[in-house]
Amino acid sequence: MLEHTLRLGLRAAASLLAVSALTFLVVALMPADPVEIAIRAWNLPANPATVSAMRAEWGLDQPLAQRYFNWLAGFVTGDWGRSFRTGEPVFDEFMKRLPLSLTLGISGLVLAGVLAVPLGFAAALRPRGIADRFSRGLAISVQAVPAFWLGLLLIWVLGVKFQLIRPFSGGPSIYALAIVLIALHSIGLFARIYRRDMLEQTGQPYFRTAIAKGLTRRQAMWHHCHCSALYAMLSAVRSEAGWAIGTTATLEVLFGLPGVSQFLVQSISARDYSALLAYIMTVAVWMLTMNAAMELTMRRLDPRSA
Amino acid sequence: MRRTVVFTLLFVFAISLLAGGFWQPHDPDAVDILSRHQRPSTEHLLGTDNLGRDIASRMFVAGWRTALVVLAVGTVGFLGGSLLGTFAAILGGGTERLMLRFCELFIVVPTLIWALTAAAIFGLSPLSAGLALGLAGIGPYALLANSLTHRTLALSYVQAAQALGADTPRLVVRHVLPDTLPIMFTHVGSNAGQSVVNYASLAFIGLGADPSKPDWGSMLFEYRMFIFDDPMLMIWPGLAIASMATLINMAFDDVRPHEAR
Repeated sequence: MLEHTLRLGLRAAASLLAVSALTFLVVALMPADPVEIAIRAWNLPANPATVSAMRAEWGLDQPLAQRYFNWLAGFVTGDWGRSFRTGEPVFDEFMKRLPLSLTLGISGLVLAGVLAVPLGFAAALRPRGIADRFSRGLAISVQAVPAFWLGLLLIWVLGVKFQLIRPFSGGPSIYALAIVLIALHSIGLFARIYRRDMLEQTGQPYFRTAIAKGLTRRQAMWHHCHCSALYAMLSAVRSEAGWAIGTTATLEVLFGLPGVSQFLVQSISARDYSALLAYIMTVAVWMLTMNAAMELTMRRLDPRSA
Repeated sequence: MRRTVVFTLLFVFAISLLAGGFWQPHDPDAVDILSRHQRPSTEHLLGTDNLGRDIASRMFVAGWRTALVVLAVGTVGFLGGSLLGTFAAILGGGTERLMLRFCELFIVVPTLIWALTAAAIFGLSPLSAGLALGLAGIGPYALLANSLTHRTLALSYVQAAQALGADTPRLVVRHVLPDTLPIMFTHVGSNAGQSVVNYASLAFIGLGADPSKPDWGSMLFEYRMFIFDDPMLMIWPGLAIASMATLINMAFDDVRPHEAR
């Protein structure tokens, strides 16, 4: 178990390193010169002395590999550079905003998982029944309908027609709405995967044995197949974690929530590339953490690997 | 029967987007302050927006841009993924492992976030977004093409051809690709609907977007403030995104490996 965890951690670190190198390269090759932008942003005199001083201060006069290692060392020690726009350290800004984005993403995924289990169970209990049709329709329709449009529609219906919530207010009802919207993308998919695995299990000999012992179909499914179906569902959480981030980003823009994606949007209009690097790294860390967490949970669920 | 209907609808949709790309009932950028927020009429099919611009014309231009993105994403994903995956399978050994690990990098960070980065650096146009979404999506396709190629290479008729002395390029072109490409094509097609939604999300977030050009996503961002006065403004672009994505999804519904049906 310990060895496995260690190997998982090492693999994640290697991926992180590769992602950081790739992103750094792309950002370094960008057409715009950060010094020029900063001079314009801060109204500094654009003479050669200032330019070379700033180049030296940011280490831009060094070769690319050297700059990468400097940045990497800074990143690991929590020095993520300063924002052009606010002049504040990017790290502090991220730490201030990260809890909100993480809460949205994680609550969305958890809500989806919690709702998907009963839905998937009902769908598996009665194939072609109402729950089955509903979960299928849900899984297909959310693929085509962007969450931010659904959010706009819901604000319109709930906020303008029925006046139940205050649109764009940033109150608790808006947060609840955002979490539901993030969850909605995954509920159908999770339920479908849960149902498929459960139906597969009901064809197994052990299931027939359980029925022969006198259990009802419902009892046999819950006591004997639930763990396996949950296992299958958790493996889908990994890919949905990526969607959760994308949806969180659009919803932060829609509702004006102060999360990391909103910071990125504001920073990019000021051509702040240290924020961009920090954002990609945060996303990569989130994905790798979710991946590792799911893998460890799945190992605990699977009695063969314990 | 259902397929015929879906493909006919998709065809009609594609034709109208193509036509709309070159001809619009009005100049999509013509501001007419005197006729703001007009209801749909024969003059303005979908009415006018907050600046008096013709919504139908803007929808057409945006639709054409979206179609370009879908085409670019599909082409890049299909060609790049097939090439990379097949090459890796044939080269084998350490090279293959390295190539596959590289593809996995694009799975670590979600496609939308890679595209967001590209848009932030290079600006958002149908071409840049299409390339970025396509390139970022290559990872999963390459892995799929790789496993498909391995499966085909193990089949007895391929091994027979090999035993008869067919050289590798001939083997790939004559025996492997005809087997793997149709599956790849369906798979890329079934994900193309996703690129409609992805592009809309990018345009909605608006990093590096050109505000003078309409996109369904950026129209939603622009019109979101008018849900009190003129909610129809935000209905049309969303409806267009959803119907285009649904049509593409339905047309390529055959192969969906990871989704339970």
